Amino acid sequence: MVNEHSTALDNLAVHVKGLAKSYGQVQALKGIDLSINKGEMFALLGPNGAGKTTLFSILATLRTPSEGHARVLGKDVVKDRDAVRQSMGIVFQEPAIEKRLTGRENLELMGLFYGLTISKSKSRAAELLTSLGLEEGADRPAENLSGGQRRKLELARALVTDPGILFLDEATLGLDVDARRAFWSHIKGLTQTGRTVFFTTHYMEEAEVADRIALIDAGSIVALDTPRALKARLGGGVIRLTTDDDVKAKAWLLEHGYTCENSSKELMLIHPDPASVVPELMRNLPVKVKRVEVHEPSLEDVFITLTGRKLAGETSASDGRGKGGKWS
Amino acid sequence: MIRGIYAIVLLDLKRAWLDRARLVAGLAQPLLYLFVLGAGLGASSQQGAGEYRKYIFPGVLALSLLFSATFAAIVIVFDRQIGFFKAVLVSPLPRYAIAYGKIISGAIQAFIQGIIVLPFAPLAGITMSFGSLIELIITMAFASLAFSALGVAVASRFSSTTVFPIISNAMLLPMFFLSGALYPLKNAPHWMQVAAHLDPVAYAVDLMRGSLLDVFFFPPALSLSVLVLFVSAVSWSAVGVFKRGEDDSSLGATQFNWRR
Repeated sequence: MVNEHSTALDNLAVHVKGLAKSYGQVQALKGIDLSINKGEMFALLGPNGAGKTTLFSILATLRTPSEGHARVLGKDVVKDRDAVRQSMGIVFQEPAIEKRLTGRENLELMGLFYGLTISKSKSRAAELLTSLGLEEGADRPAENLSGGQRRKLELARALVTDPGILFLDEATLGLDVDARRAFWSHIKGLTQTGRTVFFTTHYMEEAEVADRIALIDAGSIVALDTPRALKARLGGGVIRLTTDDDVKAKAWLLEHGYTCENSSKELMLIHPDPASVVPELMRNLPVKVKRVEVHEPSLEDVFITLTGRKLAGETSASDGRGKGGKWS
Repeated sequence: MIRGIYAIVLLDLKRAWLDRARLVAGLAQPLLYLFVLGAGLGASSQQGAGEYRKYIFPGVLALSLLFSATFAAIVIVFDRQIGFFKAVLVSPLPRYAIAYGKIISGAIQAFIQGIIVLPFAPLAGITMSFGSLIELIITMAFASLAFSALGVAVASRFSSTTVFPIISNAMLLPMFFLSGALYPLKNAPHWMQVAAHLDPVAYAVDLMRGSLLDVFFFPPALSLSVLVLFVSAVSWSAVGVFKRGEDDSSLGATQFNWRR
């Protein structure tokens, strides 16, 4: 029994139980439970101030929890901090390379910091530069590389010790679409070899590559599922309306049995059969419809229905910290 | 551990090498003291300009070590603002290795600066035997370590790149002026002699002067023991500051602290 239990835990890359963190009066995390399998690509999404950074930082050994415990690759993030650090790689939002040194020098130094021998860290650096396609600029100061190459160099830096788990904190911020795509295709390749990837992002389409997504809001995980299942929860399609008088339109809609989501800018309805209902709405709404849009539910829509907010920055009118809304 | 220290030293020296113009610029101050102050003050001293220049040469050497060691320590304050150190701090590298690495790399940089000043000795009228050159170099190595440890212990306590230089100047100049670098301590007022006993720079200057000119104010064994003790005590204190950074809650911030 006990053995079975421990084997099950051994297959987990991340195991979190009752994790809470307070900063003075503010409860940033309110009892998080979370299990992530080895080899999984896991996205953590949430608006600013939701506890995303706190959870990320605790797992990456950068902060200590107030309550509960977290294990990464079977090791406690507090008690076995150095063991966790030895087996993880991390890409920060901000650059963490010495830009006046060359890419090769950066990687070789990082190898030494992780306790590789001089010759091992040289060969590891060369290996990573090749596998990430960075050989060409490897011996120029890192500041002369393009944004995409520099991010790849950050990734190479995180991979120096061949980590079992990779933490990416908004790792593609500021990259153009092509560079982002290249970055994620490389990350996807890494999970093929059994590595776990735990990432946060502001770009919704990036979260689509995840095996599972956790939505965090106001310190709790409000949803945890595959991208597909999350979107399927909404069922049907999403209708977005912009009218002359949204308040009046909303009142009419409610009166006629439609439920509107708490979207700040426009009216948003989720309906099992949007195609049939849109003509009727257009005909009957007592206000002038300026724009109507029908689409498959996106992760962004899931997020809005859950939190009443858009993911990137926008806060709901009522309350900055927001509350998890109900599923429609 | 050793590898970690080596890595920190390598990183710092690689960066310092990019700023190698500093080595040339770092000559300006000691040469100014030696040939301008030395000539001006020396002309009015009883010893005469030539003898005075000889007398202050070891002091100027110490000045050069002191200022370049402190300058090297400023990098610590800047390191908090660059991301690379974040990556270093999330590696399993122990904190004391970072502190020792910083002390050693600062000492090496100071020592090199001192070696560059050394060829000006003949111009200052100093002739030395091979034996006294060896003595001098050993003393310089100890002094570099002592000044670097001091720089690291102080710099690691400051997070502002504007405050640390002001503080360090406020410490360095008194230490330099009280050290007897520019005048014989034995003729100085009593209170200055007392103060010099508390000044590590004074012991370093005295040892260097002794090895070149064979005049000592302190017994050499005392000077050497003071320097060794000073290096160990101050390094220990520097390690303490870095160790206090064990909780890395500040790592999430753009600017992070060694201590909490």
